[in-house]
Amino acid sequence: MSLQDKMRERARELLESGAVNMVIGWEKGTFWYLSPPAFITTPEEADRLVWDEFCLNNLSKYLLDYRNTDDKIALFVKGCDSRNVVRLLQDNQFPRERLYLLGIKCPGLKDSRAASLLGEEKRAELPLAPKCVGCTHPEPVIYDELLEAGVSGDLGSPEKRFEDVEKIEAMSYDERYAFWVNAYARCIRCYACRNVCPACDCRECIFDRTQTGWCGKQMGLTQNMFFAITRALHVAGRCTECGECERVCPQRLPIMTLNRKIIKELNALFGPYEAGVSLEAKPPVVEYRPDDPDFEERR
Amino acid sequence: MADVATGNPLVPMPARIVKIVEETPDTKTFYISTDQGKPFTPKPGQCVMLSLLDVGEGMFSVTSQGPDHLEIAIRKVGVLTTALHEAEVGQVVGIRGPYGNGFPVEEMKGKDMLFIAGGIGLAPVRSVINYCIEHREDYGHLWIIYGARTPTDLCFKEDLFNNWPKVENCRVDVTVDRADEKWTGPVGFVPPFVEQLKPSPENRIAIVCGPPIMIKLVLETLAKLGYNDEQIITTLEMRMKCGIGKCGRCNLGSKYICLDGPVFTFAQLKLLPSEY
Amino acid sequence: MYKLATEKLPELLQCWSQGATVYVPQKVGEVTLFRPFKGQGDLALGEGNTLEPPKDLFFPRTEKLYDYWASGKEARLEPVELHPDRAVLVGVRSCDARSFLLLDQVFLTRGYVDEFYKKRRENTAVVALACTQAAPTCFCTSFGIDPGRAEGVDVQMWPVPGGYLLEALTPRGEEMLKQASGLLAPAEGEKIPAPAQPSLQVELEGLVEKLQKMFDHPYWGELSRKCLGCAICTYLCPTCHCFDIDCETIETSGYRFRCWDTCLFAHYTLMAGGRNPRPTRKERLRNRLLHKLQYFVERYGQFACVGCGRCLELCPVNVDITKVIRDVKEVSL
Repeated sequence: MSLQDKMRERARELLESGAVNMVIGWEKGTFWYLSPPAFITTPEEADRLVWDEFCLNNLSKYLLDYRNTDDKIALFVKGCDSRNVVRLLQDNQFPRERLYLLGIKCPGLKDSRAASLLGEEKRAELPLAPKCVGCTHPEPVIYDELLEAGVSGDLGSPEKRFEDVEKIEAMSYDERYAFWVNAYARCIRCYACRNVCPACDCRECIFDRTQTGWCGKQMGLTQNMFFAITRALHVAGRCTECGECERVCPQRLPIMTLNRKIIKELNALFGPYEAGVSLEAKPPVVEYRPDDPDFEERR
Repeated sequence: MADVATGNPLVPMPARIVKIVEETPDTKTFYISTDQGKPFTPKPGQCVMLSLLDVGEGMFSVTSQGPDHLEIAIRKVGVLTTALHEAEVGQVVGIRGPYGNGFPVEEMKGKDMLFIAGGIGLAPVRSVINYCIEHREDYGHLWIIYGARTPTDLCFKEDLFNNWPKVENCRVDVTVDRADEKWTGPVGFVPPFVEQLKPSPENRIAIVCGPPIMIKLVLETLAKLGYNDEQIITTLEMRMKCGIGKCGRCNLGSKYICLDGPVFTFAQLKLLPSEY
Repeated sequence: MYKLATEKLPELLQCWSQGATVYVPQKVGEVTLFRPFKGQGDLALGEGNTLEPPKDLFFPRTEKLYDYWASGKEARLEPVELHPDRAVLVGVRSCDARSFLLLDQVFLTRGYVDEFYKKRRENTAVVALACTQAAPTCFCTSFGIDPGRAEGVDVQMWPVPGGYLLEALTPRGEEMLKQASGLLAPAEGEKIPAPAQPSLQVELEGLVEKLQKMFDHPYWGELSRKCLGCAICTYLCPTCHCFDIDCETIETSGYRFRCWDTCLFAHYTLMAGGRNPRPTRKERLRNRLLHKLQYFVERYGQFACVGCGRCLELCPVNVDITKVIRDVKEVSL
């Protein structure tokens, strides 16, 4: 039985038994290279679910929409997505008992933008989705049942993730500044990067509180850079490298480079840490420890 | 309104607060005037964009006007209105307008008028009440039914208890949700109060303005009393920015409240999406 | 009709740059955008739609309205005097050209004229470039747009082997071709290439009437589940024109500006007292789609969609307006 058939079967069973009243998975979109989120609420609709190399959306974000409901939700999670579920559980954003996790051991997904340009005849030769390059956790870290997705592709070495960071670190300060100014002059502050990010779980974002004067609504470089820095620092230690922010950015800004720079610095400062890998390990900038070396120093 | 403009319609003219009347603990009426006198002459029910230049801009109904000033009653609810409440006489403000359609004072001629308002909702209604009083011969009986949470929350007390009752062929009924020790008048919400007073729908136009829930219940009451949808007029409120039907946010279906409203008959409203 | 050899394109742009700024699609990073022509740059005239529509030439992302000074009770303001440079917009596709006519309706009619928009619009010559190939996301023909011939433009260009054909459609266009006559060769009898034929199509017959009955339909709730509430579809839509007005004060001085806004953001309709008539993504997404497909038609007699396909291409969750149109026709009331 293919993974897709298995997904449909399990979704149907879970809805029929009443174990859950909603299954969140993926379905076929407008084009062959799009597999957007699907919300299945009746067993009959379970056959809408698909699994293919374009199931890129991280569905854990949608749990936030149902945090104040009584819905019992079955959620399909790839490795990266599962780490965000852990993070949401750690932040008490969603109760575990209303959640049924169908883990998918992910083979690595394909670049849908490249697919749209190359055409369907090149389907077999598509490059790996940029967000999957150097993936550290293809297998979910938390699940109620695990579904296999077939042979894993070559995802590249985890060190590859920091190649872009190192390129920028090798620049002079002026070059770095020019690089980011150049990029963020183009930002249109559509907030897609924030809205798609499961680590962005504030009930009200400061960028939606325009009257407070923290960040004006003008579309200017100052405001764009303030947004970029604030967003990146706010997900520091909570970013699971799911890569959704960069994938959805219409201007194709190197958002993950910013996130990974912070991850690299956190690892150097606080020791190796991967967000959302274990329910017990708290993010370094969230946890207070009396034996914190900085704390000792200040005393 | 012709399709011509002189200057940028989004730029206000400077004006000053020339007088402030404290209506209730959270509502003040600001008298606005420019060096040349009244900024412009709005029709009853029209609105203006009033700004404190360094704080913000907001749409308010003009509650009344004199030969050289506009009166704008403002309840303290947000950043701008709080700052306005802290302002003193002499403060420079920006003003642009007038915006919107206003009350259909021509179509109302020859009719008996029923005005029903709750809380700050009396502000826009007051403009048309005063208009009817100024053009007394054009309108029949005037009946004002007004309510507020407590006696202290009643706006325009001078008009309610002194000026309007003295007008010929005019009746004023005031209720409060909760009385205090001095209040001897009726107690209760506006909708049942209207039902109890039973204003006949015969040759009458009802203008209703107040909090959304009050409007909803009053509309039900009026229907029960036999009013048809064309006889009922209300005003709507939405967040507004441009005031000239361009910035988009105050749309109700294909209508812009700032330009095509804020005054609608209940019959017109029924044709629009219920998104207000 | 004239012909321009491909290699003379930079010279033509240079020629039109005399006394004007020429905006032309160029590669910027990994995307294509209208950018001022500065003699070099990576021209990208052949690559379909630009990421951003050219609407910001007339309706900038942020635009200052006036400066002010405020201290104590005193305050004064100084309106911005707008004297925009002459501009030439080269390489506009038929879909975006239609969008200008729709924006004209909004900004120039119905009682008030937007002076800033008007000045910029009047100061800009538009040179359209015909499409001979459609992207999978294109569906302009469904809205009666001819990808081979744009409406309301000064000059129409067609790509042909070895260059471009150019035809002036207005006196200003004729003037521009005269200005560039040294670079152009007469092209009488030259065959205009066949226009692109988008495979994606929507059927609009009866759509408005159906939508008028669907305001309270559960369809909108279902559709909006996946919507992220971001502004990609609105900011990158050639016909979306909503704006906010706000101010920036530093101590005693500041300025008031208007900037792009979107009906998909929660605070767009949030009122000072805390009430929001469109409290969830359902109401907000519904408003966007109904604005395009019903409200704008009711108000201005035309659809506010030009089939450029940007929202379809860029929506992170594939909210597809063509699918919405098909779904709407099928849902039972």
